[in-house]
Amino acid sequence: MKSVIDYFSSSIWTIISFILIIFLILIPYGSFLSYSFFTVDGLDINHEFSLANYKEFFIDEIYINTFVRTIFLALTVMFSCILLGYPVAYFLARYAGKFKYAILLMLIIPLFMSYIIKIYMMRSILGYSGLINKVLKMLDLIEKPLEFFLWNQNSVIITLVIILLPLIIIPTFTSLDKIPTNIIEASFDLGCKPFQAFRYVIFPIGFPGLVVGSIFVFILALGDFVTPQLVGGTSGFTYGKIIYSNFGMAFNWPFGASLASILLFVSVIIIALTNYLTKKRKS
Amino acid sequence: MTRLENVTKYMMALLTALVVTALYAPIVMTIFFSFYKTRKGLVNWESFSYEPYTKLIFEKQILESLLNSLYVGSVTVVCSLVIGFYFANYYHTSRGKMKELLQFIIFLPFLLPPIITGLSLLIFFRELGLPRSLNTVVIGHTIFVLAIVFKIILNKLETLKSSLMESAYDLGASKLQAFWYVLLPNIKLSLIIAGLLAFTISLDETLITLFLIGNDTTWPIKLWAKMRVGFSKQVNASVTLILILTSFLVLLIATIVSRSEKRIMY
Repeated sequence: MKSVIDYFSSSIWTIISFILIIFLILIPYGSFLSYSFFTVDGLDINHEFSLANYKEFFIDEIYINTFVRTIFLALTVMFSCILLGYPVAYFLARYAGKFKYAILLMLIIPLFMSYIIKIYMMRSILGYSGLINKVLKMLDLIEKPLEFFLWNQNSVIITLVIILLPLIIIPTFTSLDKIPTNIIEASFDLGCKPFQAFRYVIFPIGFPGLVVGSIFVFILALGDFVTPQLVGGTSGFTYGKIIYSNFGMAFNWPFGASLASILLFVSVIIIALTNYLTKKRKS
Repeated sequence: MTRLENVTKYMMALLTALVVTALYAPIVMTIFFSFYKTRKGLVNWESFSYEPYTKLIFEKQILESLLNSLYVGSVTVVCSLVIGFYFANYYHTSRGKMKELLQFIIFLPFLLPPIITGLSLLIFFRELGLPRSLNTVVIGHTIFVLAIVFKIILNKLETLKSSLMESAYDLGASKLQAFWYVLLPNIKLSLIIAGLLAFTISLDETLITLFLIGNDTTWPIKLWAKMRVGFSKQVNASVTLILILTSFLVLLIATIVSRSEKRIMY
């Protein structure tokens, strides 16, 4: 008798937790996906199934072009973050000694500090008469202010790298930090050259952390719409900005939803691929 | 240590220093400009004053948005802790196969671009006929931080021995008593860490909030709106205060984490 009650009470909790999840997460995602098949009729939304939005995405070149360009932008941000972040994580894990957690904490804190402020301040650092140009001019290194990072794709990339960099350092550090020094010493004893030790011992162990960090950076850069709005100028608009504008001034929610579902589709593929890659490494 | 290794070591140290500088440059500049004035692009070194901080009391809009953010943050902490604990406990005790699916769904809003979570909730609330307000923002934030809260509590639950709760039941404790006197004291620290983290994230969440906010504004949204006209010194002052608060919170989390780790080790 008791076990029957137990069974029912536990299944009730299961049901409640699934109802919560369904209402908080799944139905919102579902309603957004179904909106992508609706059309807009003036200020009203026409709840009839149609593929018009997706057709427009594939017919009008501007959307595909922007999407591809945004993917390249996110990839550039990701690889810049890896190039800058990996050596930092490596340095912290292997050479920073007793300071490693203190420095790590210094790198974590900016992650939680105001996102909007960082973007705003990047404007006064990068601008035509911004900090970088001023300092370079003061040092007589340049005659005219540099312009390549002014309100275009480059300024978006630089700003995103500064914002997202800690996200790659933290997981990479945690997996590199797990490597006991005697494993590295053993590889040297067995005749490894420094590069070989890195290639065959250190890099594979640190790989899962690097992948997790890279994916976070890539997906956040892909979907960002505030940074391009604020530092992107006219040429730096991204896919996220187009989605957002459909929910603001353009007021075409169904079309925005269909653009976003394409983003969702790509993100899910990337997350699944990462999951597969890291699992495969483990086994 | 070879010479080559020494050189790479110093190069990496230099890079680390550069990265730290780059990450802090925007923040340091904000703090700087809350104290000093500039004229024609040059800093006036004699213009140091605390005035923006005292004047902040008269900036009703900024204060109101700060209070809104604190409200949203606190309610988010309570909601995410309750739901997060519930799911973690369910995941830990259940033997069914559904729990993996559950974990996957909880992690979706955290893994997908925030823009997708924001607009899906926006559409959902519109279909429900629910007007946008601070409470819709709370729902968005709760869903977003749920994965982190869930994972922190679950990690802690998994370190506890199952005999702990069993012996409590054997000694005649009711479910509530076993939870209150045995389980809760054991997971207290992880709840505090998860709560602080949820609060810190909620305080600065912008991308989901932009979709869900109604007529009220939270602090990041106020900054976003003020950005078009340029920041006044009072805005810079409010930024400095919030920066102090968030760094304090992060340091607090770090201290608690390192203390509790030591306790497990010894």
